[in-house]
Amino acid sequence: MNLTQAFKMAVKSILAKKMRSLLTMLGIIIGIAAVMIIISVIGGVNKKQMEYYESMGTNKITVYANLWNGGDAFDEVYNYCKGIDMVLGVTPNGYVGCTVKYGAKNSRSMEWSPQIYLGSDQYSMCNNFKIEKGRDLSYLDIQNYNAVCVLGARAAKEFFDAADPINKEMTIGGATFTVVGVYGEKDPSKQYSLDNIIVIPYTSQRYLSEGWADMSEFTVKAKDSASVNKVITLLNGNFSGWEQTNRGSFWCYSDQQWQDQNNQQAMMMALMLGAIAGISLLVGGIGIMNIMLVTVTERTREIGIRRAIGAERKSIIAQFLIEAAMICGIGGIIGIAIGFLGTAIASKLIVQMVLLPQAGVTVGAFLFSVALGILFGMFPAIKASKLQPVVALRAE
Amino acid sequence: MLIQLDNIYKIYGEGLESEVRALDGVSLTIDRGEFVAIAGASGSGKSTMMNVLGCLDIPTYGTYLLDGQDVGELTDKQLSHIRNKQIGFIFQGYNLIPELSAQENVELPLIYQGIGPGRRAELAHGALERVGLGTRGRHKPSEMSGGQQQRVAIARAIATSPPIIMADEPTGALDSKTGLEVLGFLQQLNREGSTIILITHDNGIAATARRIVRISDGKVLEDHEQEVDWL
Repeated sequence: MNLTQAFKMAVKSILAKKMRSLLTMLGIIIGIAAVMIIISVIGGVNKKQMEYYESMGTNKITVYANLWNGGDAFDEVYNYCKGIDMVLGVTPNGYVGCTVKYGAKNSRSMEWSPQIYLGSDQYSMCNNFKIEKGRDLSYLDIQNYNAVCVLGARAAKEFFDAADPINKEMTIGGATFTVVGVYGEKDPSKQYSLDNIIVIPYTSQRYLSEGWADMSEFTVKAKDSASVNKVITLLNGNFSGWEQTNRGSFWCYSDQQWQDQNNQQAMMMALMLGAIAGISLLVGGIGIMNIMLVTVTERTREIGIRRAIGAERKSIIAQFLIEAAMICGIGGIIGIAIGFLGTAIASKLIVQMVLLPQAGVTVGAFLFSVALGILFGMFPAIKASKLQPVVALRAE
Repeated sequence: MLIQLDNIYKIYGEGLESEVRALDGVSLTIDRGEFVAIAGASGSGKSTMMNVLGCLDIPTYGTYLLDGQDVGELTDKQLSHIRNKQIGFIFQGYNLIPELSAQENVELPLIYQGIGPGRRAELAHGALERVGLGTRGRHKPSEMSGGQQQRVAIARAIATSPPIIMADEPTGALDSKTGLEVLGFLQQLNREGSTIILITHDNGIAATARRIVRISDGKVLEDHEQEVDWL
């Protein structure tokens, strides 16, 4: 029997029992929609996280060094990092929690108070900030312990609103700092506090009368992604002795490792949740098998007639397989439509952004549902084809 | 010799106490162009006979040569092809597929022959015209009378122009007038060269055949030529 004819027959048979066909499809519809939403939303969240990492700067290595007995880990590690030729920039990365005041504004009364970082003139380069107004921290600011600061875009807005912050004096941790520059906005969606920062020279910590920054962390920017691991190997080779001789602690990691871990976690999560949703596909598949067995029983006489007038076994198999595949395929298409809608709604709620499933996921979902129909339709179809024509013709 | 049955047995539950010999050593030959009525009471084995002759069922013992070919040695696929090309079936209950229109029902055996849509529609329409239903192709079986449905079944049987037509109680569900029309049509097909095998329990109907084979308890009781009531 040719395929066009088999398709027409399948359509007729499905349309003849609309309600039953729809109910049969339900398992497939729910399963496909659930798997699509889970994969798409997790993928979207992960992508969003990757973008966040990217915006913080690429090829970054975080170095942590501390000597137990008050030795000068800072200079030793800082100078060593600066001496590696695969390194574009190094900055100490200190964080201090202290009060910031400007005029009547006080960070203590703000909903989101700014983060104060202590860095070098390479802080912006390492962390992917671009100067928008004024100037960046300079080598001389560091050398001369200048009490100056550069504001992130959001911190500038919080304290100065539309006014020009350049050359204004702010009180940070009890000391007076002059604003010399403002960084451009990094996160236009304003979800993260990336832009709510104030950067001061690491050498100006001495002025702060409130809070204290532990200066044992550095951010190192390698020149490209291939150099990242080489730099880590170099650093570990040079400083891992500290741990072994119990002199102090040293470790370093790249953001790449974080990202890989993140990717892996997202993948695991997608697999696990996908597998749970996949169970409903299995149940749906069994539903298809069940209904196809009923259909075969109901149409035993028809099978007998077809066999009597010359249908081969394989024609009977094709007829029922195509019908099962078509039920699942239609279920798959409805499931995909619901999956699109669900992904859009769920991603809007979770990441405040409308995401849609990728083309690959969509095509995969459709092919999978058709394959499911063929898989679970196989047994009923073979059963139908094995009916003896005489026996089948006798059925009422 | 078109059909040659040699010592055919069809035994159900062989060896058991409840063993049933539906065919109990039947030998029979039918020539091309004959019109044979196989007559017998219900339970006589005539339906089993028809199933064996129509390659719908395989005998337990014995040899069945159809057109010189030993049916017992054929595969399921080859048997399907024989049913499709060599034999046209007309059943008592019409056995049309209710979801399909008359035209589609008649096209069905042609589909299984792999004939393309254009030629198929032409052949099916021709067959429907021959049985006087040229204008009813679009109707579903449920929209037709019993006589019309049986004519659709006849059209389906002759659409492939098979050499053999097998009719199992073709008038059983019809009133006597429509029944006679169907029998007349079978006689006409026979005059045009088809071999007709008519299975019936009714002697009046068996009288329309030139040769009558009477079956009882799975055995051939008598087999003779007779005067025919031409309809």
